[in-house]
Amino acid sequence: MPSGAAAKRVMLLAGLVMVALLIAGFVVGAIGSQMFGTSRFLDQPAIHLPPQPIFPFSAVKESLGYSDYPSKDKAEAKPTADAEHPPASEASGHESGAEEEHHFTPLPVTQFAITNTLLSAWVASLVIILFFVLGARKKAMVPGRFQSVVESIFEGVLNFASSVLGPDMARKAFPVVATIFFFVLFNAWIALFLVPLYQAVGFGSGGLWDFKLEAHLIRPAGTDVNMPLALALVSFVFVEYWGLRVLGLGYFKKFFAFGNLLRGRPSGLIDVFVGILELISELVRIVSFTFRLFGNMTAGEILVVMITFLVPFVANIFVFGLELLVGLIQAVIFAGLTLVFLSLAVHHEEH
Amino acid sequence: MVELGINLPLLIAYLVTFVILLAILYQFAYKPLMGAMDQRSERIQEGLSAAERAREEAASSQAAIEEQLNEARREGQRLMDQAREASQRFRESEMERARQEAEAFAERARADIQRERDAALEELRAGFGDLAITAAERVIRRSLDRQAHEELITQVLEEGESLRRG
Repeated sequence: MPSGAAAKRVMLLAGLVMVALLIAGFVVGAIGSQMFGTSRFLDQPAIHLPPQPIFPFSAVKESLGYSDYPSKDKAEAKPTADAEHPPASEASGHESGAEEEHHFTPLPVTQFAITNTLLSAWVASLVIILFFVLGARKKAMVPGRFQSVVESIFEGVLNFASSVLGPDMARKAFPVVATIFFFVLFNAWIALFLVPLYQAVGFGSGGLWDFKLEAHLIRPAGTDVNMPLALALVSFVFVEYWGLRVLGLGYFKKFFAFGNLLRGRPSGLIDVFVGILELISELVRIVSFTFRLFGNMTAGEILVVMITFLVPFVANIFVFGLELLVGLIQAVIFAGLTLVFLSLAVHHEEH
Repeated sequence: MVELGINLPLLIAYLVTFVILLAILYQFAYKPLMGAMDQRSERIQEGLSAAERAREEAASSQAAIEEQLNEARREGQRLMDQAREASQRFRESEMERARQEAEAFAERARADIQRERDAALEELRAGFGDLAITAAERVIRRSLDRQAHEELITQVLEEGESLRRG
């Protein structure tokens, strides 16, 4: 009885704190500051699609358009980095509006720099590796709690693959499909944990007190079009590889269907046309894969950042719930479509 | 393209990241997990078939025990019948023997009695003859009155008695 009452009191207290934070957030957020004239808690976030470089620092400076990087910044701490990576001086020199808020020049197509999105992808990869390697390490016959969680996730994905491909093919395709699944899933979920860092940590101008964030240290990898594109290419190559391996060169008959035409049947024209459509749809998959994931992740990130800007502190809880779901759905879709395309490529001969 | 953020080295970096992740996961997670799961399902399969085998074995041994039990029961029945028969035979033969013995005994007793009686009769006859002769002698010798007769007879009888006794 006393413990129940205490629990009830704690719940009530938590609820009151939540409401208080919600009201406070509303007052200091963007809407409240317009209405009541309070000072804003956060600056208006700028939305930019390209990822920002965080290393080497010459690339950071260049993308932010600084010729002389302000002091009191992390970048200044390691000036030696410039020696290793001589500044690529072609593009981007001309835009130099330092007064302009969130001035930012994207990386040229061929210039390499480690970006905030790549860093977050690495963080996600490390988390995945830790999770699975720790889960798979002991191999006890009767699994412990953590091991059985990892194994049941593993088994769930394997069963999902089996239901699409059948048990034999599923075992072969499993590693790549599961890695795609976990990569998408963990990147989406890690992003939610990293959102506070997104708004707080990075490179910028100004001193300690009037610091203006201009390049974020970390940003969800899904919001970088290169990550979905890389996964889409992996999925595409994977599907084509298995199609070729299972059906041999006959796999290409699907795309270049000249058989009936060469035998002099006029209906062969239709086959050729269908083959061309197949070829196009095969290639369009890359684009659709890429932009489905990119769009969802970017929209989620923008939503989170905007809600944080409008009503800081706790209003994001609901968005976070939504984003958890979106991350899971995107992972299931990416892995599931790969499986479906794979099964189409492998079983094409039968119809 | 640039506004979207497409960057060739970055794309390659992601691909490399993915491939490294795949390799590490394959080596340290998928293979051991798959192996463990296969091993476990194999173990379970084994256990199931062992249980099946044990059940079959139990059923067959149950049948064997039943068979043995029946055998033993039949054997016991047979032995009991045999014993009962033997005892019956023994009793009959014993009874026969007893009866014969008893009969022989009775026969012998009867013969003894006969002989004793014959001897007694003989003796008695001899005695009575003498007695009668003695009594007759006395009767003849004395005057005959009733009183005297009575006394005489009594005397003779007493003498005969004492004679017999002697």
